[in-house]
Amino acid sequence: MNSEAVASTNELIPEILRHPPVLDGVVTPDGLDDQVLSTVERKPPRAWFIAFTCTGIAMLTGLGLMGYTAAMGIGVWGNNIPVAWAFDITNFVFWIGIGHAGTLISAILLLFRARWRNSISRFAEAMTIFAVMVAGLFPLLHVGRPWLGFWLLPYPNQRGIWPNFRSPLIWDVFAVSTYFSVSLLFWYLGLVPDLASLRDRTRSSVRKFIYSVLSVGWRGSAFHWIHFERAYLIIAGIATGLVLSVHSVVSFDFAVSLVPGWHMTIFPPYFVTGAIFAGFAMVVMAMVVVRTTMNLNHIITMYHLEVMNKIILTCSCLMGYAYLLEGWTAWYSMNKFVHHAFWAYIAGTYAWAGWLTIACNVLVPQLFWVRRFRRSYPVMLLVAFGVTVGMWFERFVIIVSSLHQDYMPSAWHLYKPTYVDIGILLGSFGLFFTLVLLFARVLPVIATSETKAALPGAQPRHAGGSYE
Amino acid sequence: MINDSGDQALPAPRPCLYRSLEEYAELMRASGTPTGLSDELPRESALPVGLPTDNISRRRFLSLVSASTALAAGMTACSRIDRGSIVPYTRRPREIIPGTATYYASTFQESLATHTVLVRTREGRPIHVEGNDEDPISGGKISLRAMADLLGLYDPDRLRGPSMNGEPSSWQKAEDEIAQALTAAQKAGRPVLLVTEAVLSPTRRALISVLKTAFPNLRHAVWEPAVSQSEFLAARALYGEFALPRFRFDRAEVVLSLQSDFLGVDANAPAMIQAFAARRTPAGPKDPMNRLWVIEGAMTLTGANADERLQVRPSRMASLAFSLARSLNETHGVALPAGVSADGLKPFPLAAAARDATVAPAVLEALAADLKKAGKSALVVAGSALPREAHVACHLLNAMLGSEGYTVDAGTVTPDPGLTTFAGMRDLLEEAAGGAFSAAIFWGANPAYTFPQASVWKGAVAKIPMTVRIGLYEDETALDCRWRLPEHHWLEAWGDFAPAAAVLSLRQPVVGALHDTRQAEDIVLSWLHVPGLELPRSYRDYLRARWKKEVYPAESPVPFEIFWNTALHDGVVKREAPPRPPRVLRADAVADALSAAAIKPPAGELELVLAPDAGVYDGRYANNGWLNELPNPVTKSTWSNPLLLSIADAARLGLRDEDEARVSAGSESVDVPVIIQPGQTQGVASLSLGYGRRTGNVAKSVGVNVYPLVDVTSDHSHLRMAVTVVRTGRRRAVPRTQAHSRMEGRDPARSWTRAEYAANMGSESQKNERSLVSLIPAVPYTEHKWGMAIDLSACVGCSACVIACQSENNVPVVGPERVVKGREMHWIRIDRYYEGDPGNPSVIHQPVACQHCDDAPCEVVCPVNATTHSPDGLNQMTYNRCVGTRYCSNNCPYKVRRFNFFDYTSFIEDPLRLAFNPEVTVRPRGVMEKCTFCIQRIQDVRQRAKVEGRPLRDGEILTACSAACPAGAIVFGDMNDPQSKVARISKMNRGYRMLTELGVKPSVTYLADISNPVDRKGQA
Repeated sequence: MNSEAVASTNELIPEILRHPPVLDGVVTPDGLDDQVLSTVERKPPRAWFIAFTCTGIAMLTGLGLMGYTAAMGIGVWGNNIPVAWAFDITNFVFWIGIGHAGTLISAILLLFRARWRNSISRFAEAMTIFAVMVAGLFPLLHVGRPWLGFWLLPYPNQRGIWPNFRSPLIWDVFAVSTYFSVSLLFWYLGLVPDLASLRDRTRSSVRKFIYSVLSVGWRGSAFHWIHFERAYLIIAGIATGLVLSVHSVVSFDFAVSLVPGWHMTIFPPYFVTGAIFAGFAMVVMAMVVVRTTMNLNHIITMYHLEVMNKIILTCSCLMGYAYLLEGWTAWYSMNKFVHHAFWAYIAGTYAWAGWLTIACNVLVPQLFWVRRFRRSYPVMLLVAFGVTVGMWFERFVIIVSSLHQDYMPSAWHLYKPTYVDIGILLGSFGLFFTLVLLFARVLPVIATSETKAALPGAQPRHAGGSYE
Repeated sequence: MINDSGDQALPAPRPCLYRSLEEYAELMRASGTPTGLSDELPRESALPVGLPTDNISRRRFLSLVSASTALAAGMTACSRIDRGSIVPYTRRPREIIPGTATYYASTFQESLATHTVLVRTREGRPIHVEGNDEDPISGGKISLRAMADLLGLYDPDRLRGPSMNGEPSSWQKAEDEIAQALTAAQKAGRPVLLVTEAVLSPTRRALISVLKTAFPNLRHAVWEPAVSQSEFLAARALYGEFALPRFRFDRAEVVLSLQSDFLGVDANAPAMIQAFAARRTPAGPKDPMNRLWVIEGAMTLTGANADERLQVRPSRMASLAFSLARSLNETHGVALPAGVSADGLKPFPLAAAARDATVAPAVLEALAADLKKAGKSALVVAGSALPREAHVACHLLNAMLGSEGYTVDAGTVTPDPGLTTFAGMRDLLEEAAGGAFSAAIFWGANPAYTFPQASVWKGAVAKIPMTVRIGLYEDETALDCRWRLPEHHWLEAWGDFAPAAAVLSLRQPVVGALHDTRQAEDIVLSWLHVPGLELPRSYRDYLRARWKKEVYPAESPVPFEIFWNTALHDGVVKREAPPRPPRVLRADAVADALSAAAIKPPAGELELVLAPDAGVYDGRYANNGWLNELPNPVTKSTWSNPLLLSIADAARLGLRDEDEARVSAGSESVDVPVIIQPGQTQGVASLSLGYGRRTGNVAKSVGVNVYPLVDVTSDHSHLRMAVTVVRTGRRRAVPRTQAHSRMEGRDPARSWTRAEYAANMGSESQKNERSLVSLIPAVPYTEHKWGMAIDLSACVGCSACVIACQSENNVPVVGPERVVKGREMHWIRIDRYYEGDPGNPSVIHQPVACQHCDDAPCEVVCPVNATTHSPDGLNQMTYNRCVGTRYCSNNCPYKVRRFNFFDYTSFIEDPLRLAFNPEVTVRPRGVMEKCTFCIQRIQDVRQRAKVEGRPLRDGEILTACSAACPAGAIVFGDMNDPQSKVARISKMNRGYRMLTELGVKPSVTYLADISNPVDRKGQA
C-alpha cells in the first residue's frame, strides 16, 4: 500500500530530482528489529573475536606505554625544545576531528531533514563518543604532571587561584568537555527507544535489568514520543553549534599563538572542514565493514555510502582550497618567518609529510568525481584510508614542522618519534576500535526507531507529495 | 569567620575557652590575669585584607567545603609530602646564620693559571664560586672551570679514605710504610720519583725543596700535559728561563694572534678577555677600538672574534711571522734587536707567506703596516701548539715593535715552573722501567692517562716497588699505584700562590673535609723526619710560619695575627716586587730558529692541532657533568671531542658531519667522530684533549682519549705534522646544542663593521620599536623595572655565564643522549652564528636567556597561571603551579624555556646534592623552567637595602651571568632609573631588541657587535 503511494507520488517528480530510496529492498519494522536488535542476543562470530584480539592487543600496548609515560615522564617521547608538542597533540587534534562526523550526521543532517542519515547516525554518533574519549586522553597524558591536570578545571579552591581564562588550552577544556557531554547525551537520548525495544525482546533477566535501567521507563507512548522528539531536536540544535565551535576552539590552540605557521585566521574553518573530512572517512570505512559483516546491506545502502563520499569530495576540495590559501597568506604576509614556515612545509625536512598530506587529502579523493568510484568498495576504502592518513599527517605537519623551525635559527631542532610515541598512536587506534567492536555487540548499531521513520509510508503525506 | 550565621547564634565562650590569642588576652585582661602575651603579638586580624578568610558568605563557605571535601577525598592520595623531621640548630655555629650566605676568599689553580676566588657558602657548605675583586691580576673574573670545579668537591666518585692495592687501609699504616720505604731508599742511595702538577705555590715549592733536602736522590718531574712544550723551550732558549709574562691587552691597540687562544683555553683567559673586551665597546663609530688579527689553522674562539682572520697551516706560521719581521724591517724600517742580522730574514719574502696563507700579499702588507703604526701598542701572541720557531718569531716581533716591556709585561712574572718535557718524562719512565727508582709519588697529575705511550708507563710503574698516589680520585694513575691516598679538594685545603711577583694569594678551606682525606702537604710532612729541622706536623702551621718569616713585612705596625687574618679575608696580598731587568733576546737563539724555519717541514696532507678542551681541560674535570655538558664555544658540541676538519678536507676524504674517522699519526691511531668546522684551514685538523677517560662514573666512555697522538719526541708535542684521516664507515653522534648556524636572513644577532655602524647607527632598531602600536595599554612599572643589556661587541662567547648560571640556579645536567634529542637545560645559552664565506666565516656570539618580555607570549597561553608577570617587570615561573603543558615554550619566540622531561634531580647522587643553591627551588619532573634574572639575588639585595633603610644602588644587584662575565658584556639593573648603567647602555645607538616586530617588548637590549677590519678601500 505504502510503496504504491510512494511510487505514485514519485511519478509526479522529474526523475532527476527524485530522492533515491533511502533503504534497499523490502524492510519491514519487524524485520528491522530482528536484524538489528538480535545481534545483541547472538554470540559474536569468529571474525569478531579475531578483530577484538587485534584491537585489544593494540589497546593494551598503548595503555601500557601511556602508563610508562606517566611513570617516567614525557622524556620517553621524542618531544624536545623547540618541538614541545608532537605526536601527543597531533593525536588529540586527529581524534577530535574523527569525532566530528557523528554529531554532524546526527544533528545537522537531522535539522536539514536529510533522512538518509537515520540508518548511519547511531554508528557515527558512537564513533564520535569513542573518538572524543580517545582524544581526551591526550591532553591529560601530554602534560608533565598529569596528576595535577585537574588544575585546568575552574573549581573553587583554598588557593584562590583560577585557571588562566586567556589560555586557549582552557577554552579547549570547555569546548571538548561540552562537546563530549552533549554528544553523549544526544547519543543516549537516541538510544532510549531502542534500549526499550531490547528490554522488551530479551529473555535474560540480567540483560532485562540492565536495559530496563538504561531505557528509563520508556513505553513508547505518544507523550513519550512528543517529548523525545522535542528534546532530540533541541539537543540537535545545541550540538550543531558545537560541531562548529569545538574544532574552531581546538584550532585556537594554534591560531592564537604567535608561532609562524600557526598564527593564521583561516584556522577555524580550515580545522572544522578537516575534522568533518576525517570523520566522514572514518565513518565510511567503518560502514563498509559493518555493512558487509553484519548483513545490513539493505539498511545501510550504497546510497548512504555515495552521499558520504560526496561529502568527502566536497571537503577534499575545501581542504585543497585551504592549503592554497595558506600558501597565499604566507606569500601575502610579506613576513619572512611565515615564508619560512610555509617553505618548510613544502621543502623542509618534513616536506615528505606535507606532500603526503596534499596527496592523500586533495588528490586521492578526486576519484570521487566518478560515480563508479563513489560506489566501489576498494576505491572507497582507499580514499577513506588515504584521508585518515592524510589528516593525521596534516596535523603532524602543522605542529611539528611549524615548531621545529620558528624564530630563532639557533634553537632549531629536528623531532624524531620514539617507539613510545608510535606505540601510543597505535594504542589509540586500538582503544577506539575496541570500543567500536564492543559497541557493535552490546547496543543496536542502527537506530531502529529512526530508521523505521524512514521506511516507506512512515511519514505523513498529503496530496502532491510527502516529506520524503 | 562566618558572618551571616550571626554572632549571637554562637554560644558565649566560657572563660577557659578562647578562639584566638587576642581573645585569650581579652579574657585574661577582663579577669585581671597577667597573660605574658605581648601586645605586639601578630594578630589574626592583621591578616592582609582580601584573603579568602574574611567575609566569606555562608553560601561560599559551603561551596568551598563541598568542593574541597570532594577534592580531598580524591586527591589526597596524590600528594607527596616529605615527612622527614626538620631540627634547627640548638647551638648555632658562630659564623653561620641560617639563610645567610658567607663568603670566603680562596685560590684556584689550574695548570699555569691561578684565580683568586670568593666562595659562597650556605650553612657551611660551598655553593658557588665567584671572582675576587681584590685581585689586581684577574680583576675579579675567573674561568668557568674554576666555577665548575665546585662539583669536584662533591663528586661522589672521590676517594673516601686511604687504600692499599684497592683494600681500605689506615693513614697510620700508609705513613709508616711509605716513610720506611723512603728512608730505605735514601739509605740505599736509590732515587725516588716525585711527579706533580705545576707548583705555583711558594710554600709548596719550599716544602718540596725540604723534601729534596731530606731525600737528596729525589727526582721531581712537573707534569702539565696540556701545556705544549715548544712555548717554554723557545722562552728558555731566548731568555734562559720560562717566565710567564703578563699580556697587557688593556694597552694593546693591534693584537696579532698566531694560533693563540687567549680568549679561549689559554691560561688566565678571563683576565685577558676582560682587558681585551674593554677596548671593544664603542659608543660611536669614531670611538677608538683595538683590532684583532688572527692567523691560524685550527678554528679557535679567538679566531672567531677576529676582525681580520687569515688562514695558514701551523707549520708555515714561523715563516709567515718571520716574513712579517722582514717586511717591518725592510719596508717600514723597524730595527732588529741587537745581534739579529737582517740576512737571516732574507729567505722569508712576504709574497711566499701570502701564498701559504692564500691571501693577497697586500693583506699581509696591511698587517705589517698596522703593526708598525701601533708600534709598542701592538701585541703579538703565539699559540702554545706552534713549533718553537714560531714562538721565537713572536718574541722577535714583540721585541722589534717595542711591545716587550709595554704590552708584554715581563716585569713581574712568576718563576719558571720548570715543566718537564714529554721526552724528559719518557726518559724518566724508561729509567724507571730499568728499575732505577725504588719509590714514586704521583701527586696530582694523572700520567697514566695523559702520558701518550701507555706501554712505557705500564712498564715503568711495574718496576717501581713503592708507588704512592696522592689524588682526589681512583683514577688511571691511582689504579696503577700501591697506595692511594686521598687528598683534600682545593676547597678543603690550605695553600698560597703567587699569580704575579707583586701579588700573593691564599687558599683556605671553606668547608671541613667531606671524607677521610688529608691535605696533600700534610701527607708529605708526615713522611719528613729531617734531623735538625723542626717541621710542623700540619701544613697550615707550616704555611703560617713561612708567611710570618717571608711575607709579613718586618717593619709592619700590625701584629702578624691581624695581618694573617686580613690576608685570609681578602685572599690576596699586594707587595712590592723587586724590579726585573728587561728581557733580552739571545740572537743565536733567533738565528737557530731562522734556520729551522727556513727548512720547509714535510708537508703532509693534514696537520693535527691538539689543544686542551674548553670544558674538561686536560682531562682533570672529565668527571664534571657541568663541564661535559658545556657547549664548546666554537663547535657547540658537548660530551665529546670531535675531530674538526675543513670543508675542503672533509669533501676530499668523503666525510660528513658525525661520520667516524680514524686519525693515525705514527704508529698510533684513534677513532673519533667528525665535525666539519667552518673557518678551519684546509690541511689542518684539530682535536681536544681531556676525553676518553677510563675511570669515573661520568668521565668513563665519554669521548676519545687522543693523548696517544701527542708527539713525545718532537718539540712541538701538540702539533703533528703528518696525520692521516680515513673514514671508518661508522656513524657517531656528536651531541650539539645548536644544529643550525646560519641566521637565514634574520637578524637576531647584529654584527656591523665600523663603517656599517656609522650607516646603521640608531636607525632600524628604534624605528622598529616605535612603529608598534598596541591596543592594550602598557602596564606601568611604578617602582623598579628590571632589565638587562648585553653587549655583543664585548662578548667573546667564552661561556662563563653558562656555568655561573648553572651553579647559581641548580640547572640540571641531562647527559649526552638528551642533548642529542634537544633537551639541554641551560637557562642561558650562547648562540653562535656564521656569516659569509663558510671557508672563513665571520662568527658572532650571542648570549640568550629569557627576555622577560613586558607582553610575554608565554604568560597568556599558560592554562594554570604558572607563569606570570611581577610588578617589577620579571616574567616569573611558579614551579609548584606548573602542570607542564609546554605551551609556553611553543609560544616563546626566543625558545629559552626548558622542560624537565625526566626527574633530573633524581639522577644526582649524594653528596652532589650539597652543591645545590638553597635559594633556588629544585625543579621536579614535568615542570617548565627558565631564567629568572636571578630573582633570589634581587630579593636578597632588596631585603638588605630595606633593612638598612636605603634605596637600591645601581650595580648592586648582579645576576650570576653578569657577575661571571669576564668581558663585562652583561649589565643588569633598573630600567626605571634613568641614571642606571643598564638604562644608559640600552639607549646606546647600537642597541636593539630581538624580534620587536612581534610586539612582545623584551626587557633585554642587545648592543650590536662592532668589528674593526682594516680599511680596504685602497686594495681591490
